Parts: sequence; C-alpha cells; structure tokens
Amino acid sequence: MMHTYMPLAARQFLLRAGRRVLVESLDLSLASGEVLGILGPNGAGKSTLLETLAGLLEPGDGTVELDGTPVMQLAPLDRARSIALLPQDEASGYFGSVADYVALGRFPHHDTRLDVAPWLAAWELTALAQRPLPTLSGGERQRARLAQLAAQEAGIVLLDEPLTHLDPAHQAALLRWVRDEAGHGRAVALTLHDPNWAACHCDRLLFLHGDGRWQLGTPADLLQPAALEALYGPDTAALWARGAAAQPV
Amino acid sequence: MAAPAAIALGLAAGSLPDDPALAQQILAQLRGPRVAAAFACGGLLALAGVLMQTLFRNPLAEPYLLGASGGAGFAALLGMAAGLAWPWISLAAFAGSLGALALAAALGGRLLARDHTPLLLAGVMLAAGFGALISLVLSIAPAERLPGMLFFLMGDLAWADRPGLLWVVLVVASLAAFTLARRLDVLQLSPLKAASLGVSVASTRWLLFALSGACTALVVAQAGSIGFVGLMVPHALRRLGLVSHRILLPAAALAGGSLLVLADALARTALDPRELPVGVLTALIGVPVMLWLLRKP
Repeated sequence: MMHTYMPLAARQFLLRAGRRVLVESLDLSLASGEVLGILGPNGAGKSTLLETLAGLLEPGDGTVELDGTPVMQLAPLDRARSIALLPQDEASGYFGSVADYVALGRFPHHDTRLDVAPWLAAWELTALAQRPLPTLSGGERQRARLAQLAAQEAGIVLLDEPLTHLDPAHQAALLRWVRDEAGHGRAVALTLHDPNWAACHCDRLLFLHGDGRWQLGTPADLLQPAALEALYGPDTAALWARGAAAQPV
Repeated sequence: MAAPAAIALGLAAGSLPDDPALAQQILAQLRGPRVAAAFACGGLLALAGVLMQTLFRNPLAEPYLLGASGGAGFAALLGMAAGLAWPWISLAAFAGSLGALALAAALGGRLLARDHTPLLLAGVMLAAGFGALISLVLSIAPAERLPGMLFFLMGDLAWADRPGLLWVVLVVASLAAFTLARRLDVLQLSPLKAASLGVSVASTRWLLFALSGACTALVVAQAGSIGFVGLMVPHALRRLGLVSHRILLPAAALAGGSLLVLADALARTALDPRELPVGVLTALIGVPVMLWLLRKP
C-alpha cells in the first residue's frame, strides 16, 4: 500500500566543517518512493549532510524543509515521527535486552511498550530478543539498530553506512527492506562506499567531493570510471573493474 | 520489601532504657527522625547516582563526580574552622556544593547537547581542586576541631536535623525523575540517536544535572559526604538486570534508603557507645557486595 509522506527538500544548502566548505548551493529533494545513494571520500561531509537533513544540525546556509516547514523549527517529537536517522555506531552504552532496545524506536509515538515482535522477526532477531544488547556480534547489533529504526516508522529514512558489519545475506535483507520502504512511499537516503551496490539498488546518486562540489544524477550517468576517479582519486576505478582482483601485480 | 525490614531493624538497633516512657521518647524524638533521615539521604544519593550515570552514559559516574561533595566539604570545614554553629555549617555546605556544580557547569557545560566530556573534565578538575583545599584546611585547622571535620568528610547522620525536608525532596525528586523515565531510557543511546528519536538532549541533560545536583547538595548539607551509596546502588541494580528507568529509579531510591538505614544502625551500635561515621560502614558493606556482583559475567 502506498502512503504519501511529507517530502523533504534542501534549498541552496551549504555545509561547513570549521572553515572548510564541504557542500555548496545544493538543491536536493527526496521524492516519495525513491532511494538516494550518497557517495564520497572519507570526510566529504556525508554524515554531516544526513544529520543536517534530519534537522539535528543547522546548515551553514540555506534551508531544509519538511513539507514547507524548516526542520529546525519542528517540535522534536513531530520531527522524529517524520524523519528517522541511523547514525554510525550508537549502540554502545545500552545494556538492556534487544527487545527493549528495538522498542525505543517507538518513543516518538509514545508507545514504547508496543509489541515489537514484527520488527524483531523481520530482522531475524526473535531468538535474540531477550539477550542483552552488548552480548551481540557486530552484525547482530547492526540488525538491532535497523529494527529499531524500522519501528520508528518515519516517512524519511536516512541511513549512515547501513551496510557496515552486515554479511551478504543481511545486506540482501537490508536491500529488500530499503526497496520495501520505498515501495510503501517512503524516501530513503543512504551513504555507502560500494559503487556496485549503488549501481544495482539506488534510483539516484549524490556524489560529494568534500570541497563544495557535488554531482546529482542517475547511476548510469555517474558510475563511470572517470567520474569515480574524480571522486575517489586516481587508480580507484580498478577496484570495481571486472577481474581486477585476478590481475597479477 | 527490604525497605520496611531495614527501617524496622534501624529502629530496633541499639539499646533502650527499661522505662517504657523514656524508651518511647528516645524512639520518637531521636531514633525515629534519624532513621527517617538516613532513609531519605540514602534514597536521594542513589537517585542522584542513577541520574548522573545516565547523564554521562557511564556506570562509574556518581553524585560527587563533579565536585558536589568537595565544594560542600571545603565550605563546611571553613565554617568549622571559623567556629560557626551547625545550621550555618549546613548552609555553608549547601552553598559550597551548589557553587562547585555551578562552576563546573559554567566552565564545561557549553556543548552538553553533543558532548558531555568538557563538563565531566571540568567537574573532575574542580573536585580534585576542592580535595586539595580540604587537605589544606585540615592541615592548618586547630587540633580540637579535627574530629568534627573528619566526621563531616566521611559522612555522619548525627548532624541531620531536617528529616522532613529530606523526605519532601526525596518524594518530589523521585516523582520528577520518574516522569523523565522514558526519556532517560532513550538517553542511554548516543546523543545523536536520542535527538533523532525526538528527545531534547541538551535540556534533558541540564534537567538531570540540576536534579541530581539539588539532591546531592541537600544530602551533603545534612549529613556530610556519605560515600559509595550513590555509586554502588544504581550500578548494582543495573547489574542485576534493571535497565528500564521506570523500575530502576524507584528501586534505587528504596535500595539506597535501606542500605543507609542498615549502615547507620551498624555505625551506631557496632562499637557502642562510640559512634562510627556512617560513610565508613557504607563502604565496608558496599565493597564486598559490589565485588561479589562483579564476579558474575
């Protein structure tokens, strides 16, 4: 079933890290049902971009608006019901069970005692439900974080390197979930470092060069050896060329 | 369940004269208020400990971490050295405690929405500084004032003369903390994740700081720096599996109160007729219990 969720749009958007300009004059809107992949070298501002889109950081210039309202002006709980963010590595410090951890995703809806079994099942956590979170492996914890995020049921889903720690089977599960969420009308933006994954599963890509420049386009347009080397540096395109690993040094 | 038993034990501990009227008078006017004060102080310290551990996302945080007891101790010792009487010493301790916390907040509180480390470092530095000042006062104070000073520094419920006030604050602080319980659960996640779930991290953290600071300042102003309750009780309860703040907060208040009543009963009776500072007993009971709990994986 297709819902209509409120759209998120950034206008004439500027991001800074100290004095360095990371992203300049970006106009970006997340359309319902779309999956946007964000690629760029380390330190290019991918995480900062997601935090700013989530309304947790003031942009250096320009605005981020949810259905026409600046996100920084939304009440925190209203914002959390519309925009979900998966930051990198936040699971440490929580000592409770996996089920309680996932239930925290319901906080914006005021029903943290809701039965979270469907989300546990979707991320194959049912058997681990009563285990303390710190006893899980890295990949299992990542699934718990994703289950918590899914339980938030927000229309805008922002994922910072969601593939981290996941084995291929669970990368596939993540992909299915992302596609499913988009199919339900949600907009998903995720950062990643794997052009192959981006090529196969993203509708649009955003390249961040880390010096103010950015490129927005389809995977077919952007995932060219020259564009990738312009983004990541010389000799990197060989990483993703067919048979590269088999070549003798 | 343990709380009423501890209170009964606290009331029963110690000798009573054979004359029933006199015995009743002792219970009603001396031992009763003291047991009540002990329970409230223990509950407040444990409550403050839970709040501090959640504020700093660290199981080693405790009510005195940011100099609340150092500031109180220094101010109280100055008052004693100057020969002030008790209510003034108590007020000095209260002001010193709040002053130390205000200084820590002013020096390290700017980035609390994102990073608690500056506040932590400022507070730990201040606590160390006050520790040095306390040593300084101790080393130059007249010898006849030293026992009183040491009892204050180790914590002693014989001073506590406001059990009613302590109880009012315990009830109000417990209720206030309880209304924050769900937010505190979410605050155990990173500040960024908590903010993305709709918690106003900065304002909630300041609320925790103010609430735990008020509880701690009141206790040290009434009974000196009773150690270990605020660190051990929340930590032990967490290790026993209480994670949700809706359970953890009331459990900590009850367990902290019970522990301090028991420790005080021992402090009064162990070397009868001499009294020991109760802070010595909380540590002597707490350390083995804590080490035993740490044994479990």
